[in-house]
Amino acid sequence: MPTPTFALSTPCFSGHAVRTSVTLTMGVFSLIIINKAGGLIYQREFQSGLRNLSTNDYLVLAGTFHGVHAITRSITPKIPISQPAPSPATSSTGTTAPATSSYSYPNPGVPVSGLDYLETDKFRLTCFQTLTGTKFLLFTDPLTGSVDTIIQKIYELYADYVMKNPFYQIEMPVRCEAFDRHLGAWLRGRA
Amino acid sequence: MSYYFTILSPTDTPLFNIAFGTSKGGGDGIARFRFPETAQYMNQFIIHSSLDILEEAQWTNGGMYLKHIDTYPPAAAYITAFLTPSGARFLLLHQPPHLPSSTSISSGLGSSSLLGTAGSTTRASSSSIAANPTSPQTEEAVRQFMNEVYESYVKTAMSPFYKQGMEIKSPVFRTRVTAAGKKWL
Amino acid sequence: MSSTKTSRIGEEIWKTRVDKVNAELVTLTYGTIVAQLCQDYDSNYQDVNKQLDKMGYNIGMRLIEEFLAKSGVGRCANFRETADMIAKVGFKIFLNVTPTVTNWTSDNTQFSLIFEDNPLADFVELPDDGRAQDELWFSNILCGVLRGSLEMVSY
Repeated sequence: MPTPTFALSTPCFSGHAVRTSVTLTMGVFSLIIINKAGGLIYQREFQSGLRNLSTNDYLVLAGTFHGVHAITRSITPKIPISQPAPSPATSSTGTTAPATSSYSYPNPGVPVSGLDYLETDKFRLTCFQTLTGTKFLLFTDPLTGSVDTIIQKIYELYADYVMKNPFYQIEMPVRCEAFDRHLGAWLRGRA
Repeated sequence: MSYYFTILSPTDTPLFNIAFGTSKGGGDGIARFRFPETAQYMNQFIIHSSLDILEEAQWTNGGMYLKHIDTYPPAAAYITAFLTPSGARFLLLHQPPHLPSSTSISSGLGSSSLLGTAGSTTRASSSSIAANPTSPQTEEAVRQFMNEVYESYVKTAMSPFYKQGMEIKSPVFRTRVTAAGKKWL
Repeated sequence: MSSTKTSRIGEEIWKTRVDKVNAELVTLTYGTIVAQLCQDYDSNYQDVNKQLDKMGYNIGMRLIEEFLAKSGVGRCANFRETADMIAKVGFKIFLNVTPTVTNWTSDNTQFSLIFEDNPLADFVELPDDGRAQDELWFSNILCGVLRGSLEMVSY
């Protein structure tokens, strides 16, 4: 497995390298939703041929990611830094301060976020955390573009078909057939 | 002119009553019926006695406003009716002031009394309402009044705390009816 | 975020991204719920208020996701911004009203939302039992919604 590269950035997705290459396949491998307590509440694969993980493995994965995410957020440096440029080897940038002022604390108006994406040669994991603390983890092909659009749409579908379903209990595993259906249909429609 | 207005539920329960006088032609809006104060129930008797005629009249045309349907000559009381599609009845009794209004009384024997009296009004429309309960001007004014009351009635009936068939106690509704009476009658 | 910009966001979402529903359907449905609660609780209005707040709370916990997903706004920097966001985006997109934010306390922790017109209370005439006027908080569900949604974004 190739060494993962970490990148931390304060506003969501701002650290994305913009890739314009159009992929023929949809490139969305799977989706995981983690509630604010770190519990796995949704997991779905969109492509066959992925290595099967047991339910337990997924739960561990979710919990582990939750912890890592919290750690990456807490190590966001709050000391003055001279070089705000991201350095993949140290995985230690977390400021949105414009490069003009070289000695400044991170903008206190913008809250710190944790891990935004994790990339290997073969896949990219994008994490989107809502203001309510729910995390959407999307596994995509590294060449897939506009991942944040996809995640935003998934968030909307989640708001519509999960949160607005009166029989869905908050923070509990998502078992909403309408969500599955619309999510699948939308992703298929994009491909 | 004095008016007595009542709303009856489809099951003939009185939902709302109000008595008021004309505000047109210098009227002060206070009801002065010919009965003494102690005999105001007479208005209710007269209005309810016209229910049979109303039940016949309601099939005569498809409209909600049935115009003048009944007259009670001894008291010179004229009944005008308005039906809501849900079956509530709005009945308005009007009684001209006590003066020699022989034309109205003589012509008011049947339920089709609007024939003989329409031509007898030559005064301005505001005073003709007071003088002649069956003139076209009066009918138009009453129609406007009924429509306005109907609108307020629908709004009142939409209140979640109002149950169908319950007496309308809303002070807002009473104010609105009074205002409509002042405006049109 | 400036106040006018907030208004613009609210307008924009209301115009383009929100499914509309007949106002009377909402008014009558909500009115029926409150009237039924009054009946169920034997006109114990304190309990009715409590129940409305609870219902609103449960709605708010879910509605906040809808709000965030539709509006795409980020975290508010301070409480004044939050108040503005509630009034000009939240109420705008869900009820198409914009209450006025006023009555700030000096420490910026309390404010009032004043409603010019309240779509939940059209046609409503409170029961004339002499208590409802003072004791029944007819639109208390809104307070619950705010409580639930703000709690989810950790206020």
